[in-house]
Amino acid sequence: MEKQRQVPVEFANVSLSYGATRVLHDVSVTIEPGEFFALLGPSGSGKSTLLRLLAGFLQPDTGTIRVAGADITRVSPWDRDIGMVFQNYALWPHMTVAQNVAFGLVERKLPRAEIETRVAAALELVGLKEFGARRPGQLSGGQQQRVALARTIAIEPKVLLLDEPLSNLDAKLRVHMRTELFELQRKLGITTIFVTHDQEEALSISDRVAVLDGGVIQQVGSPMELYDNPANRFIANFVGTINLLRGTLERDGERGVFRSPVLGEVPLGRTAAPAGSAEIAVRPHTLKLVAPDAPDEPGRSWVAGTVAEREFLGEFVRYTLRVGNAELVADQPHFIGERGFAPGVAVKVGVNPAQVKIL
Amino acid sequence: MYPQRIVTSWLAALLLAAGATAAHAQQLTIITSFPKDLTEAYKRAFETRNPGVKVEVLNRGTSAAIAYVREAPATNKPDVFWASAPDAFEVLNKENLLAKVADLANPAVPKKVGAYPVNHPGGFYLGQALAGYGLMWNTRYMKANRLPEPKEWVDLMKPVYFGHVAISSPSRSGTTHLTIETILQGEGWEKGWQQVLMITGNSAAVTERSFGVPDGVNNGQFGIGLVIDFFGLSAKASGFPVEFVYPSMTSIVPANIGLVANARNPDMGRKFIAFALSPEGQEILLDPKIRRLPVLPATYQKAPADYPNPFGGKVKAKVNFNSELSESRYYVVSSIFDQTITFRHRELVAATKAIHEATARLAGKKNPEAQKLLEEARELAFAPIVSEAKSKDKEFLALFRDTKRDALKTKQLTGLEEYWNSTARKNYVRAAELANRAAAMAR
Amino acid sequence: MSTRITWPQVAIAAAIGLFLFAFLVVPVLTVIYVAFVDGTGGFTLSHFVSFFHISLMRESFWNSLYVATLSVVFATIIAVPLAYFTARFQFRGALLIQTLGILPLIMPPFVGAIAMQLIFGRSGSVNLLLNDWFGFTLPIMDGLNGVIFVEAIHYFPFILMNLVVALNNIDSSMEESALNLGASGMRLFRRIVFPLAMPGYIAGAALVFIKVFDDLGTPLVLNVTNMLAPQAYLRITSVGIEDPIGYVIGVFMIVFSLVALWASALVLKGREYATMQRGYSGLAKRRLTPWQGVFAYGWIVLVLALVLAPHLGILMLSLAKVWSFSVLPEGFTLQHYATVFQDSPRMIWNTLLYCGIAAGIDVVLGTAIAYLILRTRVPARLSLDFIATAALAIPGVVLAIGYLRTFRGMELPFTDDLLTSSWLLLVVAYSIRRLPYALRSCLAALQQMHVSLEEAAENLGARKSRAIVRVVVPLMAGGILAGFVTSFMTAAVELSATLMLVTAQHDAPMSYGIYLYMQSAAGRGPGAALGVLAVAIVAIGTYLSHRLIERREAEKQSQPLARIEV
Repeated sequence: MEKQRQVPVEFANVSLSYGATRVLHDVSVTIEPGEFFALLGPSGSGKSTLLRLLAGFLQPDTGTIRVAGADITRVSPWDRDIGMVFQNYALWPHMTVAQNVAFGLVERKLPRAEIETRVAAALELVGLKEFGARRPGQLSGGQQQRVALARTIAIEPKVLLLDEPLSNLDAKLRVHMRTELFELQRKLGITTIFVTHDQEEALSISDRVAVLDGGVIQQVGSPMELYDNPANRFIANFVGTINLLRGTLERDGERGVFRSPVLGEVPLGRTAAPAGSAEIAVRPHTLKLVAPDAPDEPGRSWVAGTVAEREFLGEFVRYTLRVGNAELVADQPHFIGERGFAPGVAVKVGVNPAQVKIL
Repeated sequence: MYPQRIVTSWLAALLLAAGATAAHAQQLTIITSFPKDLTEAYKRAFETRNPGVKVEVLNRGTSAAIAYVREAPATNKPDVFWASAPDAFEVLNKENLLAKVADLANPAVPKKVGAYPVNHPGGFYLGQALAGYGLMWNTRYMKANRLPEPKEWVDLMKPVYFGHVAISSPSRSGTTHLTIETILQGEGWEKGWQQVLMITGNSAAVTERSFGVPDGVNNGQFGIGLVIDFFGLSAKASGFPVEFVYPSMTSIVPANIGLVANARNPDMGRKFIAFALSPEGQEILLDPKIRRLPVLPATYQKAPADYPNPFGGKVKAKVNFNSELSESRYYVVSSIFDQTITFRHRELVAATKAIHEATARLAGKKNPEAQKLLEEARELAFAPIVSEAKSKDKEFLALFRDTKRDALKTKQLTGLEEYWNSTARKNYVRAAELANRAAAMAR
Repeated sequence: MSTRITWPQVAIAAAIGLFLFAFLVVPVLTVIYVAFVDGTGGFTLSHFVSFFHISLMRESFWNSLYVATLSVVFATIIAVPLAYFTARFQFRGALLIQTLGILPLIMPPFVGAIAMQLIFGRSGSVNLLLNDWFGFTLPIMDGLNGVIFVEAIHYFPFILMNLVVALNNIDSSMEESALNLGASGMRLFRRIVFPLAMPGYIAGAALVFIKVFDDLGTPLVLNVTNMLAPQAYLRITSVGIEDPIGYVIGVFMIVFSLVALWASALVLKGREYATMQRGYSGLAKRRLTPWQGVFAYGWIVLVLALVLAPHLGILMLSLAKVWSFSVLPEGFTLQHYATVFQDSPRMIWNTLLYCGIAAGIDVVLGTAIAYLILRTRVPARLSLDFIATAALAIPGVVLAIGYLRTFRGMELPFTDDLLTSSWLLLVVAYSIRRLPYALRSCLAALQQMHVSLEEAAENLGARKSRAIVRVVVPLMAGGILAGFVTSFMTAAVELSATLMLVTAQHDAPMSYGIYLYMQSAAGRGPGAALGVLAVAIVAIGTYLSHRLIERREAEKQSQPLARIEV
């Protein structure tokens, strides 16, 4: 299969409600041609709804959806040319694998010979060349997903939609398929939107991610932008693990100083944030734990605490610390032979001002 | 095959079938109370002789058939009406629902059987077969229960037959209506009803359909049945262990055939009537499954030796059936029978049983008081609820004959029927009490 | 589910609505209307007053109630032990019981009645033997007894099947805790098991009640006319279509059906606990003690004998030369079958045609209504479901009376044939009466099918209609087929509406033919032969569909779709 013409997808001021329930509110986002784009959010955030709007199974109350510049808001699902891989794969049990894959091509009334060629090519692409005569029920979960994928890309859609594509696979297969999906998308170059509630999945393979909550897009950006510069509390909390602390920001020229009952006074670097009540976010792995009697390392501000709990996670140890009357989570890399700190032990926590993000 | 195609093919079949119904130019519709054995034979014979013609048979009980002809819209009447009961034809004729067919009469058919004209004098319907009424019994049943063979209606009143007789109801069966009328005309109104009440008091059942009687006799549910002759004769010819006799108090009346007024296909209807009266059509009646008496004397020459021949003096019918009288009180007789017999059969049977027992106890004993009680019981149980004088009252008869009834008349009628019913019930219960008291005195 | 209501959806809903309106709502309302108006069109209760003034009507009224109630009682007595054995004991008789649950249903009760008369009647085989051996007879088949006996034997499977399902759904822990607290034997059954299985029992019992109340053929064949259904039939056919009493009876029949349904719905509503806490039904089926075994097998053999009696009887009658006042027929012949094939192949064909079309209409309507309900937001779609299901409460006699009155004098388009004398009306009556069964079946099938299967087709370029034809309908095929077979089989043996709506012999289906044949001495054999053929057709159909559905189920087992919740 050849690389396809890459098209942009644009949601402009899309809103949808069911009675009093607001499902999507004024959603505007543009997906670039050829982009691998993720819609990330907890369940009920509206991410699947957005996908179904694009596929045409739902119609927005207001707003416009454009594909390759053309308004498709009121176009029937069957006339959209947007391929979707369903969460449950939606393979038809009464048809063979080949018949499943050929379905869209038959509907397009392509000549028989061409259908055969394209079905073979699609199956080959997903590595199931030999499985055409089987029934979906005779395949494993991973194979079924590949069939669903082959069925969708066989029609060479303008846009590829993946609804929670990895949620029904076991952990190992999930990682494997993730890579495969990524490679396939790069090979075809097709604009791809996928929905997931798993932030690791979203961050690992997409070019850009839109995070939704409560029917509103909270932030759009590359995985790294989201991680490093969460636009709000929700993003900060949802993408990765984080410590959030309230306090006041004082300005010292271009520099800022964060003052809080927990951390005391933390001098920050240059910041544009205004003085006053503020909240900061600190990733656990940027904190450093040392014994209370260890000398202060320069470049960090230090505060005393106690280990409340610890979780051994292999690559690192996650400590829950009690600092004053607040809790902090700190991740410390684990090396062979290190014992770490036991619960109840007093420690000193070092905060790196460069890694502190003011929200 | 895709479901879509299945649907399409169903629709196509539906339209085709509807279209087939539409092509009825050569369709003949016969409404009849006759059994399938008979209609099937005629249908086949007629269709063979007239290729392209399709005979439709509407099988209805006589009274339902009358209702059907009456209620069918003018554009959609059946062609031929064919049934046993002459009074049914009288009803139709009175309502102008028959067309004249006098010219179709077969000249070889005698004018009269006994004193009864074979064809309607006005030419509105023709006798197609003859029917007498009689008794049919199951020989095995009789043997097992050690019952003597009956010869006359009055035999059936004897205590020995208690619980072994079966009869249908005149409101359900035109032929039973004829049987009852024959007894009423032969014995007179009062005595006739008395006999009918005593016979039905001896009956195990008053069956819903006229065929219920011969059917029950055939399979041995009942010992003796009051039936139209062909039921008995055909069952015997079909191998059932049954016998049939004509009692002397019987009548031979024609089973008629007529053309419905405003028939859709009158030409074909006339053709069928002519065929039914022709030698070929008459011969079909001799079929063992049918066994009816032809109206054409010549046909009897082809019949088996023991075939009853009313023209040859083999069947003696004492009653000259008066169909006008029968017609005039058609509904009255049916209604009296239903209200006092069919619907109160259980009480009537109980009373009859008590009377039989008391009679047996008192036999040969002198006990005038008990005898008087017993007489009183008989009077209560077996006297007709309507006097002969009342049965001739014009206003009374009209109440039953009007088919279009307003609410008042309906109320009057149901009130009267209800009165009969409850009175009969009261009388039967009282009769049983009296008979029991009489029996108790016998010791 | 798409939020958009499209024109085709509305058009299809409207068409179905129109069909139901014309052939169900209007005729039934007509019956009710006529029962309540006087000659001038004003409201009146006088017909009801007249009804209760006629003692025959009062008697019929009580007799119908009596027969229906006692039929339920006897069906219960037959079914409850059987259900309990199957659900709670481990023994080989379970298979026999399953067979018992199907056997009676494949034979129309009025055909069974003929055979029962020969076996249990006044001079039937059993009574002749009893009389010979012990000198007494049992009046099993006399009058109302006969109707009750035949109906109970015919309809007990409804209770049996519902009860078995209900018993299997009871959480085993409930019984175990009762056992643990010291209840056992009859006490356990009475205090715990039966109350918990009540909803299933009531559903079955209500169905039996309605069916018996509606049955016209059985009383007629047994010569019992003092019941409501026969009276309605006789009133309308002999007194005439104008007779208001027939309509009053119709109203009563509807009311009783509704009350039975309503009562069962009420009981079901209040008692959903039976299945609520369903854990894994790991109750080890108990073994029978020797005495229990004797009772269980004894009961099964007895019921089996009763159930098989009509089948054997009708088979023997169809092969008998003469069967009169004897335990068994003397001499056997195949002549009756020859007669049937010579005289009445048309009737067999008619049955296949009418019931085929009716069942076809049913599954098309059932599929469409199911689709409208589950997959669209067309307004009033739930009313369609309600109206279609309401047909369950409309007795065949009443529907037929409604048709005869509503369509009186109406002619078929393009012909001058009367609609009321056309077999098309019979087909419509069949399809209306069987629609509830087909609809349930289609609804269940569509409910089990995930909506994404259909969306995937649309996503790949299939228009709505194509997606339905290529994906939805094939995937519903099992349910549709089950619905088709149920409709077909039950229509094939229906006599209530048939007897009233058939006019010409030529257009008559087998059920009518059997009844007609039985009206003459020479016709008994052929009638029985036709009955045997009808039973054979129904039995073969049931068996084939069973096999087909089983195979489809097996196919579906290997598909993983069900495990995902979206």
